[in-house]
Amino acid sequence: MLRLGLVMKSPFSHLLPEADHGRQKIYVIAIQREPFDIGALYQRLVGEGHETGAVVSFVGRVRDFNESPEVTALTLEHYPGMTERALGDIVQQARDRWQINDAIIVHRIGYMTPGDDIVAVLVSTAHRHAAFEACAFIMDFLKTSAPFWKKEHTHGGAYWVRERESDLASLKRWEQQ
Amino acid sequence: MTLTHLNERGEASMVDVSDKQSSHREAIATGRIVMQPDTLKLLADGDMPKGDVLATARIAGIQAAKRTHELIPLCHALMLSKVAVDFELDIAGHCVRVKAFCRLEGRTGVEMEALTAVSVACLTLYDMCKAVDRGMEIMDVRLEHKSGGQSGVWERDTTVESSPLDTRETSLETPEPSDELNESPIQIRFFAELRERLGIEKLSVLPGHLSSPTLSALKEWIKSQVDTPEAMDQPRLLCAINHDMVQGDAALGAGDEVAFFPPVTGG
Repeated sequence: MLRLGLVMKSPFSHLLPEADHGRQKIYVIAIQREPFDIGALYQRLVGEGHETGAVVSFVGRVRDFNESPEVTALTLEHYPGMTERALGDIVQQARDRWQINDAIIVHRIGYMTPGDDIVAVLVSTAHRHAAFEACAFIMDFLKTSAPFWKKEHTHGGAYWVRERESDLASLKRWEQQ
Repeated sequence: MTLTHLNERGEASMVDVSDKQSSHREAIATGRIVMQPDTLKLLADGDMPKGDVLATARIAGIQAAKRTHELIPLCHALMLSKVAVDFELDIAGHCVRVKAFCRLEGRTGVEMEALTAVSVACLTLYDMCKAVDRGMEIMDVRLEHKSGGQSGVWERDTTVESSPLDTRETSLETPEPSDELNESPIQIRFFAELRERLGIEKLSVLPGHLSSPTLSALKEWIKSQVDTPEAMDQPRLLCAINHDMVQGDAALGAGDEVAFFPPVTGG
């Protein structure tokens, strides 16, 4: 579990090469019930190195409309063990494509209501294009291959969210490159 | 003295055994069912209306030991390496004495399994004989011996025994085939909507119980176990073996974790 200021050491950190500057890169994957503080995550990301010239962060939130016009809450479920591994693989693939300095993924599980943050992805690089692309790449693969499932609650009942064609289509962008 | 099945708030909680040392563990439990001398004679002569009473009760006891974790809420699922249930017809004491022996190499004790085996064997004896004797009494179900683990060897103090169990081994012991019991089962998990449609979160099966050690055979086996087999036929059913996504058929081995789930919708 990640709590603010207490960042879990990733089991995948052995996959990552040492930074050119000799600094151990920050590489965090956390799945937690608690809300996160995006400011604290940003400080964590940029706090230790000066080779970073760009940070892109993405936050996914619960909205009050989706498949149904009046979503009152959602429940997020994951597959413990496999989810962490899938996220680690995605970050590794991103590192293979771009010069990433540091990366943080925090994904919440459990019960959330509209306005709550669900997921944060932060990527730091030397130049902005790589950071934009790597962050989008990580989110596109997170949505289509990391084992999370959403159940939406409405006044009329609850249902499991279906996969979206648009999410699958987003992956094509990365295949073509 | 603390109760290990209660957490610091006094709520029930399963003991985490991952840090416990794996060791050779054994337990023996006994019990008896007291009946009318005539009932015992019918049983001894094999004239009970429901047939072979002892053979049925033995299988019931062995099966119960293997399923203890489904009955006792905070009990772990164990891979028993041996279960034996023995009976002794005590004509003088007009009762059937039941003894269960359980063994495994593992991290938690097997006394609950042995006690469950004795209890269910006694209940089965009651069920098989109740047509001729409703007044039977199941008595003295208790642990006799336990070894292995942190607490070492424990023996019941026999000096206070009112009627010690006859130590003669009976010839009725029929241990399970050990090759089957030594094989690790395939663990199956279901998630999200699929879990709700099946009404099941986890299953396990020994590879030898599948028609072939493959994912397709496992799916067929799952469909034979559930009330809603059509849930397994969804075209977008995803599957992971040992946390790796797989497409199409794949080979399975003992101890594999296989998960089935609908398309993912995180983020």
